[in-house]
Amino acid sequence: MSLLEIEGLEVTFGQGEGRVAAVRGASFSVARGETHCIVGESGCGKSVTSLAIMGLLARGATRQAKRMEFDGRDISRLSEREMSRLRGHRIAMIFQEPMTSLNPAYTIGSQMAEVRTRHLGGTKQAALDRAAELLGRVGITAPGMRLGQFPHQLSGGLRQRVMIAMALMNDPELLIADEPTTALDVTIQAQILRLLAQLQADLGLALLLITHDLGVVARVAHQVSVMYAGEVVENAATADLFAAPRHPYTRGLLECLPIPGKVAPGAPLGSIPGMVPKLTPGFTGCGFRSRCSLARAECAAPVALRGAPHLYRCVVDA
Amino acid sequence: MSTPAIEIRDLEKRFIVKQGLFGTPRHVRAVDGVTLSIPTGATLGIVGESGCGKSTLARLILGLMPASAGSVLVEGQDLSRLDRRARARLIQPVFQDPFSSLNPRRRIGDIVAMPLVAQGVAGHETRSRVAEMLAQVGIAPEMASRYPAQLSGGQRQRIAIARALVLRPRILLCDEPTSALDVSVQSQILNLLADLRRSLNLTTIFISHNLAVVEHIADTVAVMYLGRIVEEAPAQALFAKPRHPYTRALLASVLTPEPGLGVPDVGLGDVLPDPSNIPPGCRFHPRCPVAIARCSRETPPRVDGAECHLLSA
Amino acid sequence: MRRSGIWIGGAILTVVALAGLLAPWIAPHDPYAQDLTRRLAVPFWMEGALPEHLLGTDQLGRDYLSRLIFGARVSLIIGAMVVVVSGAIGITLGVLGGFFGGRVDDVVLFLITCRLSIPVVLVALAVVGLLGSSTSLVVAVLGLLLWDRFAVVARATTMQVRNLDYVAAAWAAGSSTPRILVSEVLPNIMTHLAVVGTLEMALAILLEAALSFLGLGVPPPLPSWGLMIAEGRDFMFFSAWVIWIPGIALFTLVLAINLLGDGLRDLFGAAPS
Repeated sequence: MSLLEIEGLEVTFGQGEGRVAAVRGASFSVARGETHCIVGESGCGKSVTSLAIMGLLARGATRQAKRMEFDGRDISRLSEREMSRLRGHRIAMIFQEPMTSLNPAYTIGSQMAEVRTRHLGGTKQAALDRAAELLGRVGITAPGMRLGQFPHQLSGGLRQRVMIAMALMNDPELLIADEPTTALDVTIQAQILRLLAQLQADLGLALLLITHDLGVVARVAHQVSVMYAGEVVENAATADLFAAPRHPYTRGLLECLPIPGKVAPGAPLGSIPGMVPKLTPGFTGCGFRSRCSLARAECAAPVALRGAPHLYRCVVDA
Repeated sequence: MSTPAIEIRDLEKRFIVKQGLFGTPRHVRAVDGVTLSIPTGATLGIVGESGCGKSTLARLILGLMPASAGSVLVEGQDLSRLDRRARARLIQPVFQDPFSSLNPRRRIGDIVAMPLVAQGVAGHETRSRVAEMLAQVGIAPEMASRYPAQLSGGQRQRIAIARALVLRPRILLCDEPTSALDVSVQSQILNLLADLRRSLNLTTIFISHNLAVVEHIADTVAVMYLGRIVEEAPAQALFAKPRHPYTRALLASVLTPEPGLGVPDVGLGDVLPDPSNIPPGCRFHPRCPVAIARCSRETPPRVDGAECHLLSA
Repeated sequence: MRRSGIWIGGAILTVVALAGLLAPWIAPHDPYAQDLTRRLAVPFWMEGALPEHLLGTDQLGRDYLSRLIFGARVSLIIGAMVVVVSGAIGITLGVLGGFFGGRVDDVVLFLITCRLSIPVVLVALAVVGLLGSSTSLVVAVLGLLLWDRFAVVARATTMQVRNLDYVAAAWAAGSSTPRILVSEVLPNIMTHLAVVGTLEMALAILLEAALSFLGLGVPPPLPSWGLMIAEGRDFMFFSAWVIWIPGIALFTLVLAINLLGDGLRDLFGAAPS
C-alpha cells in the first residue's frame, strides 16, 4: 500500500465569476521509500497540489478530492489541529527559496529545536543534540557552531541543507520538496540532490519532489506525474516516460529540450505553439487541446486517465 | 585578419563595500582581468555560477557602469570614448526578467520605439521600423497598443528582443534571456534568436548558467570563475574535452534528461566562491579536487585556453 | 471596508470641490456683505431662525452658509496649491537624489534632514507674523515647508525603479537622462506620490486653518474656515454654531481626503520608505 494516495484532487480559488481552477484533477500515489516527481511548467498547479496535501492553502481556496490518504488514513477531513500534528512530524515540507524559508531573527539551533520540542516534547538540549546530529548528516561541517549562527550567515546551499535537516528532525516518512534546488547553482544542486537520494536510502524516506526541470526528474525520480493546466496528464515510471511518452504535451516538452548529443547544435528546437489557457469557471476537457495537433471534438469533454500502469489523459491512443 | 566584432581587453571592476558604520570595508574584485575576442557573426557563450561576475561583466560591456581598468572595443572603437547614443548603435542588451525589462506604464509600440526616439529618428520612419521589428519577432501588429501586463512572459521577451534589435546593433548581449521562461517558451525564443542572428548577421554574447542551452547555440564558450575566464574553447571541444577542473565539475553537474544515470558526485566541497576574498594563487584551488601544492602559491598560466597548473606540468 | 474609503472620501471631496467651484452661483448671499441689523442670527434648527439665512449669520451679519461655501474654495485652493509647490520641490529632490546617488543623494538627504529639524508651525507663524498675512504667503511658506514626505517617498521609489532592467535598457539605448527620468522613472512612482499628495493636502488644509485661527494665515475678510472659527471665539458660549459649523466642515473635508488617500494606498500597494 502506498504511503500517499491522491485521487481526483481539485482546488479552486475565489468565488463566483472570478473563480479560477488551479487544480482540476490530480491523481498519483507515492510509495514508501520512493521518489515521485511532479513536473510541469508555470501555472500548471503543481505547487498548489503540494500545498493542498499539506493543508496549507490560503483562505478562500476550496479543496476536494475523491481520495486523499496518508498511510491509509483519510487526511482530507482532518481538523486544522490534527493536520498540524501531522505536518512537521510525519510529513515534512521544504520550499524553493532558502532565503525566506528561515526566520532571520532566530538562530538555526533554536528554529530546529522548536520543530522537535513542539511535536515530540523533550528538553531543548536533547533537541539541539539531535539538530547537530542531523546537520552533520546533511553534510554541514562544524554543526555545533552552525547551531548558534543566524540564517544570513549561511549561503543558499547551506541554508537549503539546514532546511532539509530541519525537515528531518522528527523522522518524517514523507518529505515534500517544492522546487528545492531551482534557486541554487548547478554544482550545489547536484550536491543537494545526491544528499536527498542518500537520505532516502538511509532512512527509507519517501520524497515528493516538485520541479519544472526534466533533467532533475530523469535523474532522481522513480515515478513521474506530468501536470498541465491543473491536471495530471501522464503518470509513469521514469524510464517509461522518457522512452515512450504517451501524452502529446509530454512529447512536445521533450522535443523542446536542447539535449547535448541528441539535438544537433544550431538545429531548431521543437516548440509548442500557443499558450496555456485561462482556467475560467466552466472550462472542461483537455487543457492542451488548443495547442495540440491531434485535438478532436471529444477533447472538449472531461478526459479520464487510462492505460495503466503508464497512465495518460488523452483520447488519442498512444 | 579582420577586426573582431568585439574585443575585451583586461577588463576589471573593483568595488568597495562598506560594512555598516564600524566594519572594515571589503574589496570586491567582481571582474578581475577578462580578455575576450569575438569575430563578426559568431556567438560567444559565457557560463558561470553565482559570484563569478558574469552579470557585472555584462554591465561593463554595455557601458552601464565604468570599468576600473581595461577596455571594450567594438569594431576597433573604444566604447568608453563614445557617447551613449553612439554606443547604443553598436551594442544592445536582452535581460533575464521579462517582467522587469519592460516599462509597465508604456505601450508595447512605444517601448520598441524608444531607442529610435532616443536617436532622434523621425516619427514616420520610427513607426515603420517598429512595425517591421514586431513582425520579425512574431508579434501581431495590434499588440503595439497593449501594455506589458497583458502579455505573457514569452511575448514580453520577444518585445525585449525587438527593442534591442530595432537599432540594428552589431552586438547583441543576452544576459540569461531564457532562464525565467518555461521550457516550451524557451525553445521558441532560442529559435527566434537563432533566426535573427542569421538574418541580421549579429554577433552575440550569450550569458547563461544553463550549459545545455549554451552548448546548443554557442560557437565558442568561456567559463567564468571568480571574475576570470578560466577556460575558453570552441563549444564542441569544450563540452567534449573540458580541460579545467572547474569546467569538468560544471559539466558533470548538468543533469541531462536521460534516465538511469543518477546524480553525479561533483566533489567540489562546501567552500563557496566569494569575490571579496579571492584565494591566492589559482582562485579555484580551495575547491579543486586535483589541486597540487603549487596551486595555492602561483597564479596559473593560460595553456590552450585554460588557466590551470596541471596542463603545463 | 478598504474599498469604501475611496468611494466615501472621493464622494465627499467631489461635493466639496463642486461647492467651491460653483460657489458664486450656489451661495445664497455675498459672503462679504455685512448687515449689522442681522448679527448672529440663529441657524434653521433653532427658534427664531431667519429663512433666508439657513445657517444663520456671523457677528457682522454675513450669511454663514455663503461664507462656508466660499470657505471651501479657500481651503481647497490653498490645499491644492501647497501640494503643487511642495510636490514640485520634494519630487524633484527625491528623484534626483534617488537616481544619481553619491554626492547628489548626500546633499538631498542633508536637505531633508534640515527640513525635518525645522518646526513647521513655529516657522510658519514667525514668517507670516513678520511679513503679514496673505494667501500667497501662506501658500509659499507651507509649500516650502511640507515637501519632505514627497522627497522621501520619491527617493525611495526612484531607488527601486532605478535598478530595474527597463531603466538599464533605456540607458543602453542611448536615452538622455532627463528623458529617462520623465518617461521611465516618474510614471512608475506616480501612484505612490499621489497617495502622499492626498495626505499632504489634508495636512496643508489643517495647517492653514490653524494659522488663520491664530490670526497669522489668510487675511480677513476672506472666508477661511479657520478664520471663521477664530472670529467666533468671542461668541462661543452663546452662539456656539459659529464655531462648530466650520469645525465640522474642516473635519469632514480632512477626513474625506485621508480616506481617499488610504484607499489609494491600499489600491496601489504601500510605498517603500
